[in-house]
Amino acid sequence: MNLLSSLAIAVTALLAHKTRTLLASLGILIGIASVIVMVAIGKGSQQEVMDVIAGMGENMITINAGEMKRRGGRLRLSGNVTTLSPRDAERIANEIEEVELVAPFEEKRMNAKFGNNAAETTITGSTVDFPLIRGYRIEKGEMFSERDLKTASRVAIIGKTAIKNLFGEEDPIGQVVKVHFIPFKIIGVFEAKGVDTNGLDQDDLIFIPLPTLMRRIVNQTHVSRIFVKISSRENISKASEKIRELLRESHKLNDEREDDFTLVSQLDLEEMKRETSELFTKLIVGVAAISLLVGGIGILAVMLISVKERTKEIGIRRAVGATRSDIVRQFLYESLIIGFLGGGIGIAFGVGLTLGLTHWGNWTLLLDQDSIWTASWVCAVIGVVFGVFPAIKASKLDPMEALTIE
Amino acid sequence: MSLLEMNSICKSYRNIDFETQVLKDITLHINEGDYISIIGPSGSGKSTLMAIAGCLSKPTSGEYILDGEEVDKLSDRKLSRVRNEKIGFVFQAFHLLPGVTALDNVTLPLVYSRNPPSDIKERAREVLAKVGLEHRLHHTPGQLSGGEQQRVTIARSLINNPPIIFADEPTGNLDSKNGIETMKTFDKLVKEGKTIVLITHDSEVAEHADRIISILDGEIASDTKRQPSNLPEKL
Repeated sequence: MNLLSSLAIAVTALLAHKTRTLLASLGILIGIASVIVMVAIGKGSQQEVMDVIAGMGENMITINAGEMKRRGGRLRLSGNVTTLSPRDAERIANEIEEVELVAPFEEKRMNAKFGNNAAETTITGSTVDFPLIRGYRIEKGEMFSERDLKTASRVAIIGKTAIKNLFGEEDPIGQVVKVHFIPFKIIGVFEAKGVDTNGLDQDDLIFIPLPTLMRRIVNQTHVSRIFVKISSRENISKASEKIRELLRESHKLNDEREDDFTLVSQLDLEEMKRETSELFTKLIVGVAAISLLVGGIGILAVMLISVKERTKEIGIRRAVGATRSDIVRQFLYESLIIGFLGGGIGIAFGVGLTLGLTHWGNWTLLLDQDSIWTASWVCAVIGVVFGVFPAIKASKLDPMEALTIE
Repeated sequence: MSLLEMNSICKSYRNIDFETQVLKDITLHINEGDYISIIGPSGSGKSTLMAIAGCLSKPTSGEYILDGEEVDKLSDRKLSRVRNEKIGFVFQAFHLLPGVTALDNVTLPLVYSRNPPSDIKERAREVLAKVGLEHRLHHTPGQLSGGEQQRVTIARSLINNPPIIFADEPTGNLDSKNGIETMKTFDKLVKEGKTIVLITHDSEVAEHADRIISILDGEIASDTKRQPSNLPEKL
């Protein structure tokens, strides 16, 4: 018997039981569709995170005072270490050739006042390199200068969130904001930057010269962080090593003592997020495997019922000359078609949903071609695997018994 | 040479703790062109005998040669081919595919044929016309009367032009008028040279045949040739 007539028989049989065929393929359909959408969500969020990491600063190394520990997937600083200083930043800038820009950094959550308005915001102190390293851009007004740093001037650049909280709709440029009873003149406005990888609002800040913050507000000589920009991505690891050596020497740490600082490079962050997304991918694969297994069992159940219900048909076909393999093929084709039907509609559904969510839902989803190909193969394999058993069962029947069964 | 030759055929069904012997040492020869009735009460083993003769079931022991082939030793593939090419079946319960037109039911054996003819539909129309159903080609079994369904079954048994036709209680589900029509069809086929084996418990049906074999408790109780009163007509 040729392929075409086998297929024709299978199609006819499936068309005779449309509802059952659809129900059988429903499991596969939902499984495939959800896998495609979930993979797209995973890829999309991974892309988003990578964009955020890149947005935090290109080729950046962050030096944190004290030991960083990972808690719940996020880096948190522990202890209160006072050894990291602006002097370290100067030495890094002068002594390490791979370093392009350096910005010692300190911040404090404080109330700022404008007229009768008061709002808590992050008072950020750093140098002129800070906006360049972290990718903050001046939207209006201007940056403060080296001179402002030397004289510890009371000037500030303000972020969008802080503007909203303090000024509302009013233009902040030229206005005076009071922090810790000290008046600061707003000379510039940062472009909006959004949230960082930890979900913190990067626009809720008032940026002032570091010496002003250290002397007039927090009254300390150490900083909690130094941001460093490296000349190129390839140099990040080498520069990290050099910075570590320099700081250990500068902090007079002998061989027995641990680092009193933590270096986190852009590569580390990417690696961390990659691990998270790999975990997510494994989860998707797991869920996919389960849902496809359920879909396969759906096919199995329907095919077993079909075989039982059509025992007499099998007997008739055998009586007029169908071989065992003809019968196996007929039922195998049926389950294959169910598999492909479910898979095909599932792919269409999954792709449609992905595109729809991207278009109207304002989600970041990335359609993954591999997942579609894999899905197609999985459909075929499920069709065969879960169809083989009922098909063989059908072919094993003695023709006479099949005919006389009631 | 006989068309069908059975030597010491036995068939038993094994249950969990006992064995039922359905056929005991059956030896039977049928020649080409024979018109035979196998009669016996229900449970006598006549249906099992037909199943083995029709290659729908294998004997437990014994030798069975059909058209020169030792079919008791054949593989499933070859046995299926024998059923396809050498045997036609007419069943009491018709055994037509439900929801499939008369035309497609009749062509079913050709679907499984090794070398199907190119004019499948044409041949199906021919055999359906032969049984008087040329006006019912596209009706499904559900839309046909019992008599018409039985004629579709006969047409199906003829499509591949097999030398032998087994008919298991062909009139069992029919009223007397359709029963007579069906028997007339068989009489006609014998005259055209087919070998026909009727399995029945109805002596009136059995009377149509030239040779009546009666089965009792799995054994051949009698094997009688009819009086040659009809012979001149046959010749």
